Amino acid sequence: MDMALEIKNLRKEYKSFTLKDVSFSLPQGFIMGLVGPNGAGKTTIIKLIMNLIRRNAGEVKVFGLDNLKGEAEIKSRLGFVHETPSFFEDISLKDIKAAVSLFYKRWDEKLFRSLIVEFGLPLEKKFKKLSHGMKMKFSLALALSHDADFLILDEPTSGLDPVFRRELLERLSGLIQNERKSILFSTHITSDLERTADYITLINHGEIVFSLPKDDVRERWGIVKGGKELLAESYRKLFQSIHETSFGVEALTLDISAARRVLPAGAVIDRASIEDIMIFMDKGDVRA
Amino acid sequence: MRNLILKDLILNKKFLSYVGLFYILYVGVFGSRIDNPKVDIIFITFLSFILPVMIYTREDKFKATVVSCSLPATRRQIILARYILGWLLMLIIYVLDMMAILVAPGHKLGAADLFNARTIFLALALMTLYFSILMPFLIRFGMVGFFVFLISLQVLGVITLTLASKKMLNLDIKAWVAAINNAFMSLNARLGTPGYYAFLLAMMLLLSLGSFVCSVFIFKRKDL
Repeated sequence: MDMALEIKNLRKEYKSFTLKDVSFSLPQGFIMGLVGPNGAGKTTIIKLIMNLIRRNAGEVKVFGLDNLKGEAEIKSRLGFVHETPSFFEDISLKDIKAAVSLFYKRWDEKLFRSLIVEFGLPLEKKFKKLSHGMKMKFSLALALSHDADFLILDEPTSGLDPVFRRELLERLSGLIQNERKSILFSTHITSDLERTADYITLINHGEIVFSLPKDDVRERWGIVKGGKELLAESYRKLFQSIHETSFGVEALTLDISAARRVLPAGAVIDRASIEDIMIFMDKGDVRA
Repeated sequence: MRNLILKDLILNKKFLSYVGLFYILYVGVFGSRIDNPKVDIIFITFLSFILPVMIYTREDKFKATVVSCSLPATRRQIILARYILGWLLMLIIYVLDMMAILVAPGHKLGAADLFNARTIFLALALMTLYFSILMPFLIRFGMVGFFVFLISLQVLGVITLTLASKKMLNLDIKAWVAAINNAFMSLNARLGTPGYYAFLLAMMLLLSLGSFVCSVFIFKRKDL
């Protein structure tokens, strides 16, 4: 299978944060959601892929090419949206488009114009006059208008109203119908992932918790609720994370079928949503 | 490369037009009052150098370097484009400023004073010095760092001159200037005029190349 993205042992050290030897990959033709709480390291990973920050160790390959050695070639096939779109503030959208479109051989002016109309963007307006949501829409229009093979979107749905967010996610799903295209997008809105992603990579405190096909997460991860008897040593090994509440015990398992076989009849076992996993992660240590 | 230069021109076209026009009018008025070609050249080369600096500080101000670095170009190409565009702008604005002086009513210097081999080489040497020394600094420390550096230099200059005038510092600036002048004159005498200018040109190219390599080194390591 051809890979859009391969990351191996990627490391970035800051004074107060370290991205710790992250590894995951995304096959071509799929959407991967990069999810995690604020400050988990999502933007750091994206910046490292884009060579906006310097890595301390590890390897990033995009379309099989090293992201540093093949930088210009890779970026000509990438569409990128930064979490805080930052163009020259005193310039009109028309001029920004003129400056950016120069770089892409496959720039589709007709598509750009149609996106501008669809997104309700005023081309003559200066960038600084736009709201955050409008800036994000403009940034998306630029990223979508040059037939990119791989879209890297950092929090693309932040600041967008729910209707547009839904439309955007549908558009992203539509894009990968052409099996050549791939999408990596970071978010902390877990419903966006449930709706769109084929793969989910969960990150916390600079470490990958898991990077799995969404269906695997759905089928394997579960929430168990029950009495204190679940704290027994024979059950504990089934749980990735366990919390005692005033009513009993709540636990996270990554083997829902084993949990159903082994746990006592009183235990309530449900499939875990990404949000459930993130909440458990917030309370303690979760490992896949 | 061409695209990177065009991008900067498109994004700064209004700024360049307004500031460029102001430069020409300002220099036309004030430069034409000066009767010493060296003073005119020092004054105008520095103004010419500030113009490309302002473009790059604008990018810094709007945090738009992230956009430049996400486009299909390497960091080395981005710096090379900055150097080429910077030099183009400096030369264009310098020539336009000089012409403004010559057409300003009551100008005190003629074309022969401003456009001869000596003044052209002096202008090129000063622009090379400003650009080569300060560009890596600008790339490393950004807009705020750059201006803090320039202001610090001025403050240091004032303190040094004050101390020297009160005899608290043994500093003979005139002797230094004379020594540098003598060094150039003896070099000219030894190499002959064509050889001397070729030597100066080679030094300028070497300094620019060194500055470019230094800027690329810094920019490649910069986290955005």
